[in-house]
Amino acid sequence: VRCVVQIVVLAACLLCAGCGPLDRGELSRGVETLSAVAAESQLVADGVAQDRTRATYTRVHARTLAEDAAHEAEKLADASVAPGIERQRDRAVAIAQRLDDTIGTMETHPGDERAGVQVHKELTGIADDLDQLGQRLVQRL
Amino acid sequence: VKVVLRIALGIIAAIGGFVDIGDVVFNTQAGAQFGYELLWAVPIGVVGITVYAEMSGRVAAVTRRPVFDVIRTRLGLPTGLVVLVASLFVNVLTLSAEIGGVALVLQLFFDAPFTLFALLGALGMVTIIWFTPFEGLERLFGYLGLALFVFVAAALHEHPDWHSVGGGFVPEAKSSTLYWYFVVGLIAAALMPYEVYFYSSGAVEERWTPNDLLVNRLNAVVGYGIGGLLSLGLMVAAAQMFAPAGVVPDHLGTVPLLAQIPYGEAGLVLALLGMLFAIGGAAVDASFAAAYSIAQFAGWEWGKYRRPSGAPRFTLAWLVFFALDLGILMTGIDPLELTEYSVVLSVVALPLTYIPVLLIARDRTFMGEHANGPVARVLGWLYMVILVVVAVAAIPLLLATNAGGG
Repeated sequence: VRCVVQIVVLAACLLCAGCGPLDRGELSRGVETLSAVAAESQLVADGVAQDRTRATYTRVHARTLAEDAAHEAEKLADASVAPGIERQRDRAVAIAQRLDDTIGTMETHPGDERAGVQVHKELTGIADDLDQLGQRLVQRL
Repeated sequence: VKVVLRIALGIIAAIGGFVDIGDVVFNTQAGAQFGYELLWAVPIGVVGITVYAEMSGRVAAVTRRPVFDVIRTRLGLPTGLVVLVASLFVNVLTLSAEIGGVALVLQLFFDAPFTLFALLGALGMVTIIWFTPFEGLERLFGYLGLALFVFVAAALHEHPDWHSVGGGFVPEAKSSTLYWYFVVGLIAAALMPYEVYFYSSGAVEERWTPNDLLVNRLNAVVGYGIGGLLSLGLMVAAAQMFAPAGVVPDHLGTVPLLAQIPYGEAGLVLALLGMLFAIGGAAVDASFAAAYSIAQFAGWEWGKYRRPSGAPRFTLAWLVFFALDLGILMTGIDPLELTEYSVVLSVVALPLTYIPVLLIARDRTFMGEHANGPVARVLGWLYMVILVVVAVAAIPLLLATNAGGG
């Protein structure tokens, strides 16, 4: 019986391990995820800008990437945060929403080369913002 | 031409088994996250599956007994039943993932709801399997899956740093659990048990005899060699194009970018076609492997070379597996997550699958002059040790890395 109780307590501890408020490290990982989405979206936008891709592929894949950005934004917005990183969390949410909207433009105009150029430019700016935010979070870790 | 056509079994087994949805994603992720550092894990998997596929094909050609027949004979009914249940569980996960992969690729081609393409994809594959003879299936999926070579061409096109590529073939001892999770995943993905169930049963389907042992050896070496080359191509291309950009390929749709970047729309279409047929081939492999296992264990009539009325329970089995797996997909589960779990969980069944093959392949009372020689014997036991180590490490690594999620 004692052994079973120990296993149950251990399992409960493991389950609760990720249930606390969002800390700096987790926020940093969220920003990394957004950076990866932005980087991939830039590759997709590059294909659109140079007319080197298929519209259907762009539309479907852009939808998936936009969902990833939206999902990360919701996840960060819903989490309670550890003291001292509220501003960074809000900044990450705002960038994630911008990312979602920008990728959404490709979903709407998957065959428009000019839109591709514009989206690529905006994504470069978003990637820079994420990079800066990520560096600030890592420096204070 | 005849020889090329006769090695189709190895090619479909390799394309379907080696470069299925799991491998496409695992190799691309490994290259994107670790650059060339994990290249060494690919040849370990290739040599392992080549050794055991050759052995299982040889056993089938000499004794006319496929792997599951051998498992039951060698391990006895109770242990055989455990292996059967474990392998069916993994096969069900694998087949769901492959049907899901086919649906995802069709979605990237035509943009319609995933569930619709899952249904159409499964119906399409059932129709093709029903009306096409075994050899036709091998050739259709095996040869069209070779369009995946566009990834090898893409890797070469981007002029890899050959010094770094060479360095990637030297194993490194790292403390990162994610690194070891990928090592286990890459080796396990190469040695998925359904590959040898399909391969050895295919040898019986094609009525191999001891006269076909050279064809068997060519099938194993060329087929899995091609599979390994494709895996390396994906990893090197991802190391060149995704790693510097910071892309983390979590979606099947990310992979074709590797061909689109150097070759534009033509590369994209070739990549999607190759993925469609490779993953479709894996679905055929997995569905047949499940039906072969259960039919051989239960002693039913089996074989695609028979008409459905000649092997009704076998035919019903693969149809039921397709229906069951379609049902699983309709719950909305992510095919890529399914793949990761099926690959890592299959590792636990690996030693139980391969030990009976090894034991019977070395047994002169069964195999006569065709029993394992010194090279096969040494490699067979060496890989058995590797399989046991990998099997012990798989589940802790799966939990420690949150299934590769870090």
